[in-house]
Formats: sequence, structure tokens, C-alpha cells
Amino acid sequence: MSDSVLEIKGLEVAYSTNRGDVKAVRGIDLDVRRGEILGIAGESGSGKSTLAVALLRLLKAPGKVTGGSVLFNPAGRSPVDLLKVHGEELRVLRWSALSYLPQGSMSSLNPVMRVQDQFKDVILEHAPDRKNSLHELIPRLLGQVGLEPRVARMYPHELSGGMKQRVLMAIAVALEPDLVIADEPTTALDVTIQRVILQSLADLRTDFGVTLMVISHDMGVHAQLADRVAVMYEGQLVEVGDVRQVFKDPQDAYTRQLIESIPKVGRRAS
Amino acid sequence: MTADAPPVVAVDKSQDSAPSRGVRAWLSRHPLAAYAIRRVGIYFVELWGALTIAFFFFRLIPGDPVQTLIQTLQQNYMYNQQASTELIARYQQEFGLTGNMFSQYVKYMEKLVLHGDLGPSLINYPTPAQDVILRALPWTIGLLGISAVLSWILGVLLGAIAGWRRGKLGSAIATNLSIALSHVPYFFVALILVYIFAYSMGVLPARSAYDSNISPGITPEFIGSVLKYGLLPGLSIVVIGTLSWILSTRMLMVPVLGEDYLVYAEAKGLKGWRILTRYALRNCYLPQITAFGISLGFIFNGNVLVEQLFNYPGLGTTLVTAIQQLDFNTILGVTDIAIFSVLTAVLLLDLLLPLLDPRVKYWK
Repeated sequence: MSDSVLEIKGLEVAYSTNRGDVKAVRGIDLDVRRGEILGIAGESGSGKSTLAVALLRLLKAPGKVTGGSVLFNPAGRSPVDLLKVHGEELRVLRWSALSYLPQGSMSSLNPVMRVQDQFKDVILEHAPDRKNSLHELIPRLLGQVGLEPRVARMYPHELSGGMKQRVLMAIAVALEPDLVIADEPTTALDVTIQRVILQSLADLRTDFGVTLMVISHDMGVHAQLADRVAVMYEGQLVEVGDVRQVFKDPQDAYTRQLIESIPKVGRRAS
Repeated sequence: MTADAPPVVAVDKSQDSAPSRGVRAWLSRHPLAAYAIRRVGIYFVELWGALTIAFFFFRLIPGDPVQTLIQTLQQNYMYNQQASTELIARYQQEFGLTGNMFSQYVKYMEKLVLHGDLGPSLINYPTPAQDVILRALPWTIGLLGISAVLSWILGVLLGAIAGWRRGKLGSAIATNLSIALSHVPYFFVALILVYIFAYSMGVLPARSAYDSNISPGITPEFIGSVLKYGLLPGLSIVVIGTLSWILSTRMLMVPVLGEDYLVYAEAKGLKGWRILTRYALRNCYLPQITAFGISLGFIFNGNVLVEQLFNYPGLGTTLVTAIQQLDFNTILGVTDIAIFSVLTAVLLLDLLLPLLDPRVKYWK
């Protein structure tokens, strides 16, 4: 078994406009190692979300992949090029192998379904044999992210932002996927909840052994959570490395600026 | 639930000492029941108001129905002038036209509410108007009711698919066809269908509700005949009805398709049909439920021409005959039925909405 879950080679994504293509991701080479938490950092418009959406195969027109390959190695399955699977083959791969954790403040939960039903539909879709253990599986998953079992019977509009984020986290790992791509998992939450969410994410890695790819503009998130961090700027990777190494000795000028942008207690902006 | 409504006022005054008990406290703990009681109350006020307006409105129409009747009788049976004066008084009594307008109104409402009596019908004198209406009602409910339900179900489903597959050829054809045809009058489609199936091909009957050679009853022959005769009028309503439901459903679907939870459902790897029904349609079809209730009103007055065209013995035909003969009691009776059914349908649907969508809340 390869020690990389994902091998991205020369990935290019562009958005078509009537004045030609705008390249959002410009030739990225990146490996995601099994069991690690990889942070993707960068400012707004650096292409980090486009990268996530392209990897998840959720890219919508006018966006299109214009080049490269993404080799995905799920445990117990044959490796596939994520950019070349289609239809039923892709649908089967989703969630059980490749899962997604959206930003909790977005309305990713279906407003007219109870939380338990949003667990149920994805579990039964990909693992119908767990039908009989659902009644203990769902409370256990909710417990894992620090939610009470009664949350299962609630509707999304009855949950706070932090609770929604945790429900999404619990759904993301429900089928023990090989890779979870988290897009801004702490954005729009207050700092205390952010801290708790980050801790829960770290716990999920320990408990489920998932590989996490965390997209965030917040260097503080990467400092707390990630093993390695990749910094993007204008669609390209400017630096990849061990998170401590990058923070201690940033090689790139842009990375240095990003790190300096973290507010520090006791120092006033001049 | 409703049984608890009357004591509200009475219990209110003795409430202060025991705030956690009593009807008001019970209502605040059961907001849905409180809502239902209030909604039913509003329903009765609406019903009363609409019936009242209808009554006075028809009384304002110029023309004397009794005079019309007498004239008809005179022409047909040669009554002499002397007998007519007595007759006028008697008929005015019977039709509820004595006294001032207010006392006529009170008498009318009393007979309607307490006895379900609409007064005698003029065209079929002395048959009561309610009997004339009840004779026609099953045909109308059968033909127009089934057509309305059928076009709603078909239209919402096809509209959802058209929205879902927007940009695809099939969806474009369905949408443009709907835009072009959804406002074509029913009777125009009916004429085309009659021309094709009854006149040119001669395969389907175009007049009446059943074969007059078959005696009415619960027999396979009669039911088969009713279905065969109902096919053309039903089809002309379903075709146009479906197209307009397609258009409005598609319009509701498209904005939902851009929602985050649809992207999430796709990322979950759910099957397309499940995403369409449980995620997209489920979040946008509520307005169509209410619209369906309102559209029921057209069953009673919007499809008069279809019934006329096919000589179908339904309410529409009854209404047209009644209007021609200035038959007040029947016209008013048909109007009352339409008011009653629309308000009742909307009430039932309003009570149903909180059960269909958890976000619907009528209380604070």
C-alpha cells in the first residue's frame, strides 16, 4: 500500500469567461500522506477552495479542470484517477472513501430533514448492512463530536452554528472515509467554539484514523491542527512543509507575511 | 382541540392565581393547537363574510325573477291577469323576496345554516336549488376534481424534473411548450381534441356524460361508459393544467438547485432521484400545496365552458342555465358551494403545512 492517499500532479483548473479562461489553480503537485492532517493556507482568491472543489469533483461550470492528474488510493480498493471517474463509479466512491466537511455556517444541512435522517441516507446509501445498528451508531457518532443523542431528532434550524459544524463533522466520518476534505471548518465561528472544533477534528483523526485535508485562510488553525502545511498564492504552491518547520523558518516571503498576519496578544498594530 | 375554545374567555379572569393551569396556559404549551383553533375561527369569519357578500351582490342584480317566472308561465299555460297577482305574492313568499333586504338576508342565512336549504329553484320549480346542485355536483367533482388532482401531480413531478435537468434538451422543450400553451384556454384545447378524436377519427364521444342506452348504476358497463365519455373533457383540462403546473414548479425548483445542501447531497453520493425528491423538491413544493387549494375554486367556475362544450351535466352547465333564466337561488347556491370548498380546502392545507415542513411556524 502506498503511503500517499492522494497524489496530485500538475493540476490546473480554470474558469471560462467571455474574455478567455482565468486560471485559478496553476499546476499544483502535492501528496497527501495517509493519516496526516494537511493544511492548505492562502488568502482569498488564492485558489484553495477551487482546489478542494476540484478534488471533490464538485466543480461546476464555468469551472473546468484543464490539466493534471489526481491519483486516489483508497484502502482496499484499486487506485483511481479522481479526475477520470464518472457517474456510478464516482458516486460509489463518494463518502465511503472521499468525504467532505463544508463550512458549518453554510446551509449544507437539508432544512426539512431531521439530523438523524441526514446520517441515515448517506449510511444506507453506501453501507446498507448497517441498517440495524443505526440506532446506536448515530448517537455514538454525535457523542464523538460532543453532542447529546437528542440532537439526532432535531432540525438544522434548531441548531447553533457550532452544533451544525459538529453534526457535519460527525456525518463526514460516519463511514470511516480514507480522506476528508474540510473547507474552512472553523470560519464564521467564534474563537472559543473554533478552539473546541479544532480539538474535535484532532480527536477524529486519533479515533477514526482519517486523513484530513484542511482548507483555511487562518494560519492559527494550521498552527494548532496541521502536521504539514501547504501555502498557496495566486493558484500556485509557494511552500510545503512540516508545520513547525514552516512557522519557524518560512522559505517564502509570502508565507512570512501570512505568519506575521496572526494577531498576537500583547502587541498592538502600529 | 376545538372543544377547548369556548372557555377561553371565562377561564381568563380566574387565571391570575394559578398561571400554570387553565386553558391559556395549556394553549401556550401547545402552540400548534392554539394555532389550529385560531385558524378555524378565522375560517368561520371568512365563510360568513364571503357568503354575506355573495348574497347582497346577487340581490343588486337588476331584474325580477318572479316576474320572469310568471311571464314564462303565462306564455306556457295562459294564466289570466287576476291569478298572476296572487301568484306573485305567493312566489315572492316562497323565493324569500318579501320584506326588506336585511330581513331577506336573515331568513336566507337561517335556512342555509340550519337546514341547508337554498330555497326553490326557478328553472326546475318547485325542486329546491340544493337538489338541483347536488344532482350536478358528483359529475363536476368526478370530472374536474380528478382532472385537477391529476394535473397537479403530473405538473409538479414533470416541473421538478424540468428544473432539475435545466439546460438539457428535454427540459427546454417542456419549458417552452409550457410557456407557449399554459395560457391557452381549456375550451380551445377541448375543441381541438373534439375535432381530432370525435370528428375526424370518431373514436371518442364528445357530448353528454354517459351513453344514454345504458341505465345508470354501479355496473361495469356504466362506469366504463362514464370513463369513456369523460376522457375528452378531462384530457382538455389535464393537458393545460399540467403545463401551467410544470411552469410554476420549475420556477420554484431552479433557485433551490443552487443551495449548499444540494452540493452536499451530491458530495454524499446519493442517487439522483433521491436528491431530486428529498432535497430539491421537498424544499420548494409548499407554495404549490397552497396554490392547489386556491385552484380548486376554478373547478366550480373556471371550467364552465368545458362543461358547456361537452354538454356535461355538471355544475358549470347548471350555472349557465341558471344565469340565463335569472334563477337567483341556484346561482347563489353554486357560488356558496364554490366559496365553501375553496375556504375549506385552504383551511385544511393550512393546517397540514406545519406537518409537511418543520420550518413552517405560525406561532412566536
